Amino acid sequence: MGYFIESFTELHADGAWMDMGMYIGSGASFLGMSVTGWMSLVASVMLVAILVKGNIDEQDHYK
Amino acid sequence: MEDQILALTAELAVVKSAAQVTNSMFAEAYYYLTIPLMVIIHAGFLLYEMGQTRVKNVLSSGIKNLLAFAFTIITFYLFGWWFYWALPTFPVTSLTAGMGYMETSGLAYASAIALPWGESAQYMGPNMGDHASGVFWGAFALFAATTASIASGALIERIQTVGFVICAIVLGSFAWVVAAAWGWHADGWLVTEFGFHDFGAAGLVHAVAGFFALGILLNLGPRVGKFNADGSANKISGHNLPLTVTGLMLIIVGFFGFLMACIILPGEGWSWYADGGATIYGTPITLSALAFNVCLAASGGIIGAWVFTRDPFWMMSGCLAGIISVASGLDVYFGSHVIIISIVAGMILKPCADWVEGLGIDDAVGAVTVHGTIGLFGVVVLGVFGSGIPGLGAFAPEDTVAISLYGQIVGAVVMFLLGFVPGYIVSWLVNKAGMLRIPDAVQIKGLDAVKVPAQAYPESMVSAESDSK
Repeated sequence: MGYFIESFTELHADGAWMDMGMYIGSGASFLGMSVTGWMSLVASVMLVAILVKGNIDEQDHYK
Repeated sequence: MEDQILALTAELAVVKSAAQVTNSMFAEAYYYLTIPLMVIIHAGFLLYEMGQTRVKNVLSSGIKNLLAFAFTIITFYLFGWWFYWALPTFPVTSLTAGMGYMETSGLAYASAIALPWGESAQYMGPNMGDHASGVFWGAFALFAATTASIASGALIERIQTVGFVICAIVLGSFAWVVAAAWGWHADGWLVTEFGFHDFGAAGLVHAVAGFFALGILLNLGPRVGKFNADGSANKISGHNLPLTVTGLMLIIVGFFGFLMACIILPGEGWSWYADGGATIYGTPITLSALAFNVCLAASGGIIGAWVFTRDPFWMMSGCLAGIISVASGLDVYFGSHVIIISIVAGMILKPCADWVEGLGIDDAVGAVTVHGTIGLFGVVVLGVFGSGIPGLGAFAPEDTVAISLYGQIVGAVVMFLLGFVPGYIVSWLVNKAGMLRIPDAVQIKGLDAVKVPAQAYPESMVSAESDSK
């Protein structure tokens, strides 16, 4: 996904970095969805999977 | 002469720009520093809860508390923050969750600034032009985690970890957030329609969390051995009262950060005013007012509790109760109001907790009373003393509703329901899934021995050996 520029010089000279997201994946999209959206989706799925695994382990402890 | 004027004008512009940068950086640093102060609340809750636990369960209580903190903050990022901005007008002033008078609310607005994807993501991550979103989000995320920690203590020694985490997510990233949207936002319908005022979140944080815990407790049941067959209660002492009392004092330290985060600083694009601090409602407030009132409330609560108990646990709980009892009106109370109200709160604390226990409810740390009952007490008392105070600041609509006893009672009822109903429903569902109560045999053996691969006090105190891998 990469970063959206190679140098901050021009961006700073234009005053552009004063109102924009300056993170990896900013402004990019993949399969019609923003890269940040994909990352948030992956994070959400990870959380749910961890809770499911955590519950399975916990129920095993109580047997 | 003309050249000199031009030069001076240019210099003035440079000075104004530099002053604005300084103000922005100060504001950013101010809110940023409230975040570690509020983390101290969690250090306090951790000690408080673990100290109130018996040795055989102490690490399990710690794990539960830590996970509540972690899951609440992440889910608050993923969706909780969005609810706060989306729901202020829903469903009373706008069935479709439209934008309110201040134009900082509604579905469209929330989706533009508070979702971690799409265009909105620019306000949910690094952005050199945005010195506010992250620190405001951070402060609110810590408020959210505080609600989860409040509920956590009541449930110790018999609630399953994942089941509790699910409840904590619903509380921290939904239930209290809805309460905040309705009663802690200038467009919130409780504020605009009823004049509801809750500066320091006695209702929308403390009462919601306290009664959410009550909803869970009804489905969870008491610890093994808490009640006898005839209904009488046994005292189950924690293993380390000094730890608990120290934890409570740390919570008080963190409260100073919590309350300073409730002030809107001046001079920024998002500020109410250019020249003075304001509450979240746009009404005037200073840190000096907080300094008077928070210190007095903490002291009044301790003294009030001491009237009916010599137990340091309840005296420190009285300290918390004192602050919570005046939190709604910390911005408008005079110091002597605070002394009276906080002493009364400290006095009624233990009898209220005994009453809850008499109903067969095992609230291990008195959270339902300290946060729930006293939170509602604080909301209503402001209606008694503060009726007639304008509910919103200088830029509000002319027909703004003033603070009133009626409005505060309506707010108190809403806060009770926003805590109790979601707490009861989610814990009922979790219970149906078999994920709520730890089996009695495990409670008797000790939770640490069953599921924690470590011992709390391996060298100095008796602690059951763990057979967990």
